[in-house]
Amino acid sequence: MSTDTVLKADGVTRRFGRFTALKDVSVSFNRGRLTSIIGPNGAGKSTLFNVLSGAFPPSEGRIYYEDREITGTPQHAFPRMGIAKSFQITNVFPQLTAVENVRVALQAMTNRFTLWRSRTSFPELQEKAEALLDQVGLDRHRHRNAGNLAHGEQRCLEVALALACEPRLLLLDEPTAGMSPEETRVMMDLIEGLAAERTVILVEHKMKLVMGISDQLIVLHHGELLAEGTPADIQSNDDVKRVYLGQRT
Amino acid sequence: MATKNSRTERLATNDIPISGRRVAAALHAVARHRVLAVLVLLAIFPWLMPYKALAVDILLYGLFAMGFNLIFGYTGMLSFGHAAFFGTGAYATGIAMVHFNVPWFGAMALGLVIVAAVAAVIGLLATRTRGIYFAMVTLALGQLVYYAVYQMTELSGGENGLRGIQVSELSVLGVPVNLLDPVNKYYFMLAFIGPAIWVFSRILASPFGAVLEAIRENENRARACGYNVAQTKWVAFLLSGLFCGVAGSLSAIHLSIVPIESLHYHTSGLAVMMSLLGGMGTFFGPFIGAFVFLLLEDVITNITVHWQLFLGTLFVLFVLFLPKGIWGTLLERLGR
Amino acid sequence: MAGYPIELIVMQLFTGLALGTVFVLLAVGLSMVFGLLTVVNFAHGAFYTVGAYTGVFLFGLTGNFWVCLVGVPLVVGTIGLVVERFLVRPLYGRGIDYPLLLTFGLAYVLVELVRIAFGTSGVPFSAPPSLQGALNLGFGYFPLYRVFLVGFTTVLLIGLWLFIERTRYGLVIRAGARDPEIVRVLGIDVSRVWLLVFGLGTAVAGLAGLLAAPMRGVIPEMGIPVLVEAFVVTVVGGMGSLAGAVVAGLLVGVVVSMTSLFAPAFADMSMFALMALVLVIRPQGLFGRAGLMGG
Repeated sequence: MSTDTVLKADGVTRRFGRFTALKDVSVSFNRGRLTSIIGPNGAGKSTLFNVLSGAFPPSEGRIYYEDREITGTPQHAFPRMGIAKSFQITNVFPQLTAVENVRVALQAMTNRFTLWRSRTSFPELQEKAEALLDQVGLDRHRHRNAGNLAHGEQRCLEVALALACEPRLLLLDEPTAGMSPEETRVMMDLIEGLAAERTVILVEHKMKLVMGISDQLIVLHHGELLAEGTPADIQSNDDVKRVYLGQRT
Repeated sequence: MATKNSRTERLATNDIPISGRRVAAALHAVARHRVLAVLVLLAIFPWLMPYKALAVDILLYGLFAMGFNLIFGYTGMLSFGHAAFFGTGAYATGIAMVHFNVPWFGAMALGLVIVAAVAAVIGLLATRTRGIYFAMVTLALGQLVYYAVYQMTELSGGENGLRGIQVSELSVLGVPVNLLDPVNKYYFMLAFIGPAIWVFSRILASPFGAVLEAIRENENRARACGYNVAQTKWVAFLLSGLFCGVAGSLSAIHLSIVPIESLHYHTSGLAVMMSLLGGMGTFFGPFIGAFVFLLLEDVITNITVHWQLFLGTLFVLFVLFLPKGIWGTLLERLGR
Repeated sequence: MAGYPIELIVMQLFTGLALGTVFVLLAVGLSMVFGLLTVVNFAHGAFYTVGAYTGVFLFGLTGNFWVCLVGVPLVVGTIGLVVERFLVRPLYGRGIDYPLLLTFGLAYVLVELVRIAFGTSGVPFSAPPSLQGALNLGFGYFPLYRVFLVGFTTVLLIGLWLFIERTRYGLVIRAGARDPEIVRVLGIDVSRVWLLVFGLGTAVAGLAGLLAAPMRGVIPEMGIPVLVEAFVVTVVGGMGSLAGAVVAGLLVGVVVSMTSLFAPAFADMSMFALMALVLVIRPQGLFGRAGLMGG
């Protein structure tokens, strides 16, 4: 594995019963780059995302992270390896406040089984949690229940939860799904900022949205790898035009 | 749903008259110093009850329901097998005292070790399942313990229960105490239950307590944050079982016998009902549930033998119309 | 196995199968309701009790077992319809624990009503004269009633299977179990299907109570072990799977009857050991799909 590669999928296939969602896909993701996985509905984007982020193992093939194989590693081990993710469907702790949400996420790195001290007796966690909320623009909503935040705010909170483990690799599954244009712009700015400091893999349905900010694009179609390359390569790729852009016209 | 709740909460706080606000302020004060509030109330409790043995029952079952609530209310797993821990605690303590002449404190310690072992094994199997399966598997494994103890006739007394636990002259720190006296007995029990309540409160307020809430709120997200959910649930299950075991162990000393019913599915059901009546996932809920349940049982069984008809109906009505229970609803109405 | 004549073992095997058919019936009702409605019916054992007592009542009225065989599922099924419509339905969408808790409380109500109507001690109920006696199966004599039980349950299960696989309603049940959206597209009122399935599940539980009555006795508390047995079978077989219920039911029946022959002290516990084994090896059950467990 070349030193530039952070994450690599090697011949990954995933079946659900008789349905094959992903067929022999081999891709690699470069360090410090923002790579977007795109494709029309049912292309296998989310399946690839879930296999890469450890939600379920591939039926065949292997996944490598940095210099080791991580195929089949349980989900909860990912944050400590420096990999974090956000879900396609908003996934926060609704009855906890925003700051409690982030504090729980931070605590996963340090004291998982601390039974005796008070949870408020960790000023460094509290400060860190507040700093992360600042970073995603939620500093005003610290003490509101996560479930009561607006949709776009909940998604930003989820990004803060993902950042809690100080990930070197951040995986985001359609982070702008269901957002208003204004919320989308805020989120895309946030992602661009995050990508400056770490490797980001982004699954996105709307191709236009990621063209401007991606270093690299991966196009899936019917569960297979259709094309990969820079945004310019992809825009001029005839296969992509046919199956992806062609759909719109 | 959450948005709607907060709206009703806000309306409620604006609309209640001044006296209501005073009540709210008082409740807030109680919630802040919850351990102290409970201890003061518990100190004078027996004299508030129609008879003192009822006060002991309420304490014991309150502790039992509180331990259960750690799994049900705080971690979001509905167990129907917690009688296994209550009953094992009672039997192990009783058997050690009756058959092996172990002094009471040794018997209680031994009881807890055995409860921990039982909870560890049941927890290992049950936490392999999720959602609705968990209720079914804990119920089945609880019944397994019931049948197992039932079969050990020589030790457990089988269907007659375990008899002959001597409590008339227990040596407490060298001083002989007669536990047949209800006041002595009450304070003896309180000496264990008070600290247990305090420990429970510490656990809830700890970082670990936050992890349990996170798992209840969103298991997937907790996992993605880096928590080994199965392992955390197992630890919670073990702790929950231990609190129920203490309650069971004390009940053996309280009753001087251990009825086989203490291991039965209905006993697990008691914890479920008390928690829900009082308010699951609230600190005081289980004690309030135990209080209401036992007081009603006392009153109604004096009137009719068909107490279970009343109980079942009441429970169904609570599930339909008051799912947050008495204390939970009160907290919500007055705004947290 | 020395000391046990082979005939005895074969007989015990057959007894296990007869017992297993009752387990199958119980688990099928429970599993069907869960598969479609994701409701675990904790009153399933209570409906079983109500079925047996309805049988006692109808038998006292008519003196005809065959009338009971038709009447009991109708009566218990109707109670089930009322329960779904007025008690369970308001709880849909409120989380999976609430219907469970409600039916748990309901079980107390139903069993206490049975006590009020029929008393707290058991009542006698024997198989009809035409089903008494024994049948020579070649390897030994076997109670005729148990042969009837196995045959009747088989016919019933085939009927149920045909209903689910071959009818329009069955199609909806299968589709609905996977995706309520599809059912809506088919233009069928989902709530009516749910009502029907809940009624059907309780009717089968009631019928199981009637069928088991001559074998296992009739007392108000008869439903409690049965609820546990139904859960064990469902966990072993896998929730929502008809085939799983059948295989696991028979398996549990045989395991129980074999341990009561070879190690009577462990007969009550054997099924739990089986369940524990399945949980360790295959937590989703023999025929269950892994995803369903999330519930």
